[in-house]
Amino acid sequence: MREKKTRNQIAPAIIFLLPGFTLLIVFFLGPLLYSFRISFFDWNFAHPDRSVYVGLQNYITQFKSQIFQRAVSNTVIYTVITVVVKMVLGFFVAVILNQKLSGRTGFRVAYYLPVITSWVIVSLLFTYMFSGMGGLVNYFLKDVLHVIDKNIMWLADSTLALVPVVLVDIWKGVGWAAVIFLAGLQSIPVELLEAAEVDGANRWQRLTGVMLPMMRGTLVFLLVVLVLGGLNAYVPFQLITRGNPMDQTHSILTLMYRATFSRMNFGSGAAISYLLTIFVFVLSVVQLKLLRKPAGE
Amino acid sequence: MKARFPFIILSVLIVMSIILGACAKVATPEAPADVTVAPNEVVVTEAPIAEPVTIKYWHTMSDAEAAKLNEVISAFESANAGISVQATRYAWSDFKTALLTAIAGGDVPDTVRMDIAWVSEFASQGALMQLDGFLPDFDAIAASVFPGPLSTNKWDGHYYGLPQNTNTQVLVYNKAAFEAAGIASAPATIEEFVADACALTDTAKGTYGFAEGGTYFWAPAPLFYAMGGKIVDDGITTATGYVNSAESVAAFTMLKDLYDKGCMSPNLLGGGIATDAGQGTGIYAMIIDGPWMVDIYKNNYPELQFEFALIPAGATGTSSVVGGEDVVILDGSKNKEAAAKWVSYLMSVEAQKALAQVGVIPTISSLAGDPDLPAHFGIFMEQLKTAQARVPSPKWSDMDNAINNAYQRILNGDQTPQEALDQAATEINALIAQ
Repeated sequence: MREKKTRNQIAPAIIFLLPGFTLLIVFFLGPLLYSFRISFFDWNFAHPDRSVYVGLQNYITQFKSQIFQRAVSNTVIYTVITVVVKMVLGFFVAVILNQKLSGRTGFRVAYYLPVITSWVIVSLLFTYMFSGMGGLVNYFLKDVLHVIDKNIMWLADSTLALVPVVLVDIWKGVGWAAVIFLAGLQSIPVELLEAAEVDGANRWQRLTGVMLPMMRGTLVFLLVVLVLGGLNAYVPFQLITRGNPMDQTHSILTLMYRATFSRMNFGSGAAISYLLTIFVFVLSVVQLKLLRKPAGE
Repeated sequence: MKARFPFIILSVLIVMSIILGACAKVATPEAPADVTVAPNEVVVTEAPIAEPVTIKYWHTMSDAEAAKLNEVISAFESANAGISVQATRYAWSDFKTALLTAIAGGDVPDTVRMDIAWVSEFASQGALMQLDGFLPDFDAIAASVFPGPLSTNKWDGHYYGLPQNTNTQVLVYNKAAFEAAGIASAPATIEEFVADACALTDTAKGTYGFAEGGTYFWAPAPLFYAMGGKIVDDGITTATGYVNSAESVAAFTMLKDLYDKGCMSPNLLGGGIATDAGQGTGIYAMIIDGPWMVDIYKNNYPELQFEFALIPAGATGTSSVVGGEDVVILDGSKNKEAAAKWVSYLMSVEAQKALAQVGVIPTISSLAGDPDLPAHFGIFMEQLKTAQARVPSPKWSDMDNAINNAYQRILNGDQTPQEALDQAATEINALIAQ
């Protein structure tokens, strides 16, 4: 009787799993394994049978390439800065939006608007703002604040060119972090905060002693998701700097796209994406280990 | 159990429909309505094509060109019963990805009009048909066209395309700015060009005598070639003594001096005012650009009084860079004979003249000076006589990048022109050796 019931449950379960599983294999696992194979070849996309096996050559070339090293450091710097700033600003915006102030809904909408605006439009706007000739940023720095006496060619400098890239991501991402934080804040029972207040805790103590520990799950979620998003940065780099000047402002993914689709070097492109995959995988394991809830909680 | 059975059937049907849906052929956008679709199982037999076939033709034409193309297609179809042409238009920025996807997926268009710089890249992968020895009238067509554009189709001793249209860059100057500065005519030599560029610059007003669109090779190429610059030897075996030759170094030194003196706009390093917007609004007196500027200025800056002139001459005379598109037949085409007819037709005087009416410069050299062509074609066809093609190598994109980066290092003052181009030579040699 028991056995029969189990069998009856398994058949429909498999059938209901099939669509998702099929999609996973066709669109995810299959391509994943196929591109792993490509990464060991000088790949001929028109005649795959003419591809030449090159072993680890595609990987070694990347490790030796100064452009790849720079792309990795750009991606890491971009991730660290944007994640930290978005989390700090997002948290404070959430705390403010959690107060009972008039026009609260309006502010919430205002902070979330950048999140839903198009990356393309926003990236182009930032490109104009940071134009080296007649850009808004130079105008403010030179003609309004008088902190510089000569226009800065933002996009012509390999370090300064990353400023608009980082800023556009922060500007666009703060609202999203704030919404997630807001949800976390609202899940904290008011009684807890009131009790802390009655016990004589000041604002800072309530923040560090009650709010942050209660939002541990939210913090971990945001950290993991934002770090993953940062390492996969593509759009702002591609639209604002395109690797210029001198190929010093690529992200790992813009380099991968260029190798594959403009240089038609599929092997290199696959190798770059696998290096990123390994990096992300290792980092995720480390994050999970570090952020695992302490025993006894 | 019985009650669940219909659900199981339903689930299976849904799964099947998803899987089959995923495998289905993607609909082609912008297909003309009157196309006769050939059955999939059509096998092209020898000579007279019995069954009707459809030739797919992918391109990146402008609105006006695409409209004119429909007339060209109609003329071709009425002359070749049983063959219809289905043209599909792509945005330039998506085009290479679309082609790569089609080729990797095995469902290729029969014919493509592609950038001249791509032919050797695709040919080196075996994605294109060799046309010499296949196209019946190949030799006649090859003899009728400009040699520069034709050379862009050559890879490994054979031709994998034909030059469907061509263009080149000439000097575009603001007539009013020249008159205001008291300069009577366009600079004829590099020396005059340098002097004029600085005479037309007014730092106080923020105007520049000259501007380039960027540091990619296409931008400095006309002046570089006019001053005798070369990238590699004719056999594409080495860059040493070519990209870092005295002439090549002199060309980049001249540009660096203009930049340092403030006579060339800093926009070329990124984040500045684009050349067309700058010239249209009176900020840049001279730019170097192609025939499409006629339409751009007519639509966006109708007040601008601009003139064309040949690229200023260096020691060996004027020169410029060849641009344009080649028409190719893809290796995976199932209708190669019919495709060959379509390609031959596109290379005919009739088709070339039709598309010339919408601003496309024909490649047939005998059409130079033809009274039916737009008046401004004259200067471009004159410049084409001395214009040079970029290196026809599948590694060209990487070579271009090496020169681009060298140019940026020169402008930033990180390296002298000689040092930067020596490094570019080393990088290009490594690409050739691959």
